[in-house]
Amino acid sequence: MALSKEDAVKRARADLARRLGVSETEIEEAAVEQADFPDMALGAPVQDEMSGQMITTGWRIRLRAGGREAEYRANRDQLRLYNYQGSNYRL
Amino acid sequence: MNRQNFLGHLALALALIALAALAGQVRRWQHASYDAHVVEQQQPSTAVLTPRDTASAAEVQVRFRPGTSVDMMRNIARRFDDRVEDEIEAVDGLAFIADEDGKSAEEVAAEYRSLAGLVEYAEPVGRINLDQMEINHEHPDDPMFNEQWSLDNHGQNGGKTQADISAVRAWAKTTGSSKVVVAVIDSGVDYTHQDLMNNIWVRPPDIDEYTDDELGTIDDTYGFNAVNDNGDPMDQNGHGTHCAGIIGAEGGNALGIAGVNWKVEIMPLRFIDANGSGTTKDAIKAINYVIDRKRAGVNVRIISASWGSTMYSKALEDVIREAGKEGILFIAASGNSSADADKSPHYPASYDLPNVISVAALTRQDQLAGFSNYGAKSVHIAAPGAEILSTWLGGEFREASGTSMATPEVAGVAALVLSVDPDLSMKELRARLLESVDKLDALSGKVSSGGRINAARAVGAD
Repeated sequence: MALSKEDAVKRARADLARRLGVSETEIEEAAVEQADFPDMALGAPVQDEMSGQMITTGWRIRLRAGGREAEYRANRDQLRLYNYQGSNYRL
Repeated sequence: MNRQNFLGHLALALALIALAALAGQVRRWQHASYDAHVVEQQQPSTAVLTPRDTASAAEVQVRFRPGTSVDMMRNIARRFDDRVEDEIEAVDGLAFIADEDGKSAEEVAAEYRSLAGLVEYAEPVGRINLDQMEINHEHPDDPMFNEQWSLDNHGQNGGKTQADISAVRAWAKTTGSSKVVVAVIDSGVDYTHQDLMNNIWVRPPDIDEYTDDELGTIDDTYGFNAVNDNGDPMDQNGHGTHCAGIIGAEGGNALGIAGVNWKVEIMPLRFIDANGSGTTKDAIKAINYVIDRKRAGVNVRIISASWGSTMYSKALEDVIREAGKEGILFIAASGNSSADADKSPHYPASYDLPNVISVAALTRQDQLAGFSNYGAKSVHIAAPGAEILSTWLGGEFREASGTSMATPEVAGVAALVLSVDPDLSMKELRARLLESVDKLDALSGKVSSGGRINAARAVGAD
């Protein structure tokens, strides 16, 4: 099922709250913007992943909580956490 | 007239008749030869006129003011040390003038133009230069062709004229061959797309089904699906269908677009999932399948690989090397990170193997695309890769950008080359592609060949 921007933000907030062990109400949206990513892994490939090298439009979602910031990347097909403590995650 | 005189006159008359008949035959021969020449030259719809060879006398076509007598024309011509070679009766005042004092055609034309009161125009006689012709059939009737700047850039949508792969000129020599098979290892291909379906590889009856020790026997009628380990490589993403269309959407079928090849055989392989990603393991399985089919007798000479990662895999490198040993050229996307791949490699394009070509992307203005990777040593060639129109899922067409799109442009040209030179070795084919580029300032120090792929030169049409 296609993911909307609102769905992606909602899922990203829930994911970050879980990772940080805080309430979703404590997650602040620093920025949600449309972006072109370099490939079909949204520039956030996980281990052993090969992706199509096509520019892919999606949303960059920057969330903040407790002085820490995280960047999520999404399009209608997927949601990823980018470079979180040195790793990418496909959610 | 006595008998002797009569016989003498008869002999003379017969000789004259024979001579007249011979002369008539010679004229017919000349006419036939001329007609053949004309037919040969009429085939093109447009032709570029260029001044005649400087080795022959200069000729100029002059249109004198209507009513100018032939005697007047001759007088004027004599004044310039020229002669009236032929008056064209059908057009009042038009004559061909031949130079007789060693001037160039441009100089002679200028002399006549100086007589503005007597002359309407004067222009060097052109000859039709076959090398510069664009023949009717080279422009396909596919209705979206005008949007395909990568094949024929005439400045549409802000593009730079001739910033393309010279496909139209290449098509004067070849539009491809269904004997050449190109493996598209990607998200699969929508083999039911109406602009692709006639160019999809179908396993020939004399080639056995694919058999793998672990997977068993698979009915690979339309290729291979490494994600699900079956014989259905139907695309669920669109990326592979887009790449396939660039290589070989059917041309001249009054539908959609034209591929670099109007006819070719595209072998669909699926290792990328619906989201656009796949695993190294499945990529290896797909390449292994292609090698197996080559060994089984399929003429698959090219793999188009519009995907990659910065993660190095020795196993992936090894299987691509094996493909090279089977004579298979592996054409890969250099990556979209705006990075110098000499310092930040992107695999599989960055494997230093003799059968790999790494491809960068160009814009319609002939500039390296802002997203494209580059590398003076490890990226080899560039091709159009921004705003490329091609086939998509659901029978649709759409534009996409990336080194993903540049890669099948090169794979397509490789297939065109094999359609005219099927016996080229993989090494020769690779060299042909890299040595026939159009050198661009924008690519100096960015790709090892320094240029944009040129299909016409690669197939020997230039």
